[in-house]
Amino acid sequence: MFAKIGLAITFSPTGKALLKETVRLQHLFNSQVVLIHIGERNKESEELLVQTIKSAGVDADKYEVIWTEGDPASAIINSAKDAKVDLLVAGALEKEKMLKFFFGSVARKIMREFPASSLILKSPSVEPINFKKFFVSVDYSPRCERTIRTAFQFALKDNAEEFTVIRDFYMPGLTAALGEDKSIDELKSLIYQLKKEEEEKMKLFVQELDLKGLDVNIVCVYGKEGFEDSNYARNNDADIFAVTGPEQKMRFFDRFFQHDIEYSFEKLPSNLLIVR
Amino acid sequence: MLFSAKMLGEIFTKLKQPAIIGEILAGVILGPTILGMLSPGTFEFLFPKNSEVNVAIDGITNIAVVLLLLVSGLEVDLAIVFRHRKTALSISVIGIIIPFVLGFCIAYLFPGLLGLVESQDRVVFALFIGTAIAISSLPVIAKILMDLKIFKSLIGSIIIASAMLNDLIGWIIFSVILGLIGANTHGFSFSETLLYTLSFIAFLLMVGRKLISKSISVIQEKLTFPGTVINFILILGFLGAAFTEYLGVHAILGAFMVGIAIGDSIHLKERTREILHQFITNIFAPLFFVSIGMKANFITNFNLGIVVVLLALAFIGKVAGCSIGARLGGLNKNESLAVGAGMSSSGAMGIIIGLIALQFGLINEEVFVGLVIMALITSIFSAPLMTYFLKEKEKTKFRNLVKEEFVILSNETEKRKVLSRLADVASKELKIEKAVILNAVLAREDILPTGIANYLAVPHAKIKIKHPFLSVAINKGGIDFEAADGTLSKIIVLLLTPENNNELQLQLLADIVAKFKDKEQVENLLAFNKHNEICEGLKKLV
Repeated sequence: MFAKIGLAITFSPTGKALLKETVRLQHLFNSQVVLIHIGERNKESEELLVQTIKSAGVDADKYEVIWTEGDPASAIINSAKDAKVDLLVAGALEKEKMLKFFFGSVARKIMREFPASSLILKSPSVEPINFKKFFVSVDYSPRCERTIRTAFQFALKDNAEEFTVIRDFYMPGLTAALGEDKSIDELKSLIYQLKKEEEEKMKLFVQELDLKGLDVNIVCVYGKEGFEDSNYARNNDADIFAVTGPEQKMRFFDRFFQHDIEYSFEKLPSNLLIVR
Repeated sequence: MLFSAKMLGEIFTKLKQPAIIGEILAGVILGPTILGMLSPGTFEFLFPKNSEVNVAIDGITNIAVVLLLLVSGLEVDLAIVFRHRKTALSISVIGIIIPFVLGFCIAYLFPGLLGLVESQDRVVFALFIGTAIAISSLPVIAKILMDLKIFKSLIGSIIIASAMLNDLIGWIIFSVILGLIGANTHGFSFSETLLYTLSFIAFLLMVGRKLISKSISVIQEKLTFPGTVINFILILGFLGAAFTEYLGVHAILGAFMVGIAIGDSIHLKERTREILHQFITNIFAPLFFVSIGMKANFITNFNLGIVVVLLALAFIGKVAGCSIGARLGGLNKNESLAVGAGMSSSGAMGIIIGLIALQFGLINEEVFVGLVIMALITSIFSAPLMTYFLKEKEKTKFRNLVKEEFVILSNETEKRKVLSRLADVASKELKIEKAVILNAVLAREDILPTGIANYLAVPHAKIKIKHPFLSVAINKGGIDFEAADGTLSKIIVLLLTPENNNELQLQLLADIVAKFKDKEQVENLLAFNKHNEICEGLKKLV
């Protein structure tokens, strides 16, 4: 599934926890690991690196180290790209402080700019455990099909207990369109009916995917697209929330005028798997 | 005023027309047009000229228009605007430039056509006419999309996003024009007015939004719901309105921008929005529209020439402008024309602009009456125009895909054989090799059987075609498609849809499944023996 997993290695406690998580994933997917070190290469740092790798239990013949310098986010992304990493692991805070959110922390830049899949971990642990509850954000695009299949395979390999696909949809202007014709209860009833129709479509969509081995729960919520599904995952203690990476690069204005996936980037609902 | 507006508004709603027509008609009846002519004494008694009553009515209508723009702003969803920003920008910018320039040129070069008198400023008049032509009405457009059942579709989202952006740009332009005519009374120069206005907008959209969202979250959680949050919204709306009024660009801009900032909040509950809407739409909107009808004598000020010119400008300018914008934004010809038709309705927004222009002396009563009529007519005709241009989309509905020549009576007893016959029908029509179709359908059948319930099976596949195709086999003996309810499938609908269009396939599958939900209806259909009866029965399934 993920042939090469990348990680920017640091020697902090969080860095060591991320490495342990990456090792777990390495064993899960039988992958190569690419460790990217940002900083000066000297005898001391080499020794420390070897020690850290050894104590984390990385498969000795299944890793490579890339030494690079410069702006951390760009260096990590470029090195991972060059090494053809197909899953880049990073740690992130649930929510950045305002300035950092707008101008980008390393993890947020990876989320927005890395061209392959990434797994952003909110609370990596030195004793990692499997992910039990998977939630996946759904639209009906072919790219989303791939996201669902990827997340499902991950869930199966990780012996997950729960797999839920969520679709959120919103109809701006609905209140204005029908406000003079319909009462509040009638509007509620209409929204309920629209949700039911959407659920029927989702059932058909999931049937087409033919996912076997784990029951798939279907949830449909009405509300701001990109926010409601993320919020649902958060409120239901998701271990992983999987989303389809945006087709276009997300720019500064996308952070100011948030839409879709930016809500998840602003406040991580759980560990975030971005599939590209 | 309220009683007559609601009564006539309800009548028009029952006639499936916008309530606004009834509400304005109520004003026409109560105003100088009818009551004023038939019983001047009664009219003078109810609405005495030059008295506190007029001041009170003007006060209420000003509050009403502020509230109308506040709720309009609440409906603007910046997320959807950004999601479709390229296409929406193309549609709304070109959809404003072309009608604006057209309206300006006609008004400036041929002012006599629109009743401009010598003493009036030609440039300002022309600028105003351009704006009145360029504006569109989001609630009318949203309602059309709902009625056409394309609200949730991609084209529906694009139209909504464009209408929102159109409103935003249109109101800013209008406010700039008011600034130009020196509408403020606090001595700001035009450039100062512009600077303060743009700063206010920037502050609201960039910083204000976040602060408001956080406040709403706290208020909804900690204080009485929904009363306090509704109060909060109204307070902010009036504050914003007061600020822009102070700047001289009219209260409506402030109310509209505050509405946008509030509506963007992820914490704002739908219930709050609905309550506010109901309150304003059922009390203040009728009062406002009645007052519109009372503003002028609609008979003596009716000038057919002005009405025709305005209508022509509106339809040509808006349809052409938005269609060109949509084409440049990547939509196909019919979709672009549908966008143009939808955006040509100016509705309440056009009327509000007319009222303000009348208040500022930019237009006379004939032009005002012409604008009101233009707003109403464009609102009524944009829906059928859109439907006409979107008739291609109608072809993708089940009832339109069912054709007599593609319905066969089958007596096969095996699944593969009936699928082979259906694939044969499809192959002849689509000019694709039968084996390609049959293999795709059988491959899908292998993944999961396609028997549904109520004697229905929908074997389907995505293949290289441009449009969906459907053929139906009626097999009275029934064939086992492993339906969930254990019934043998007697109506087998072969559905072929274009590759890479999951949404269309899902939409059609859901549509077909929904049509066969009523078992009794399906059994009645199966009782028919004649081919044409069966075909008619299929098309009439609801």
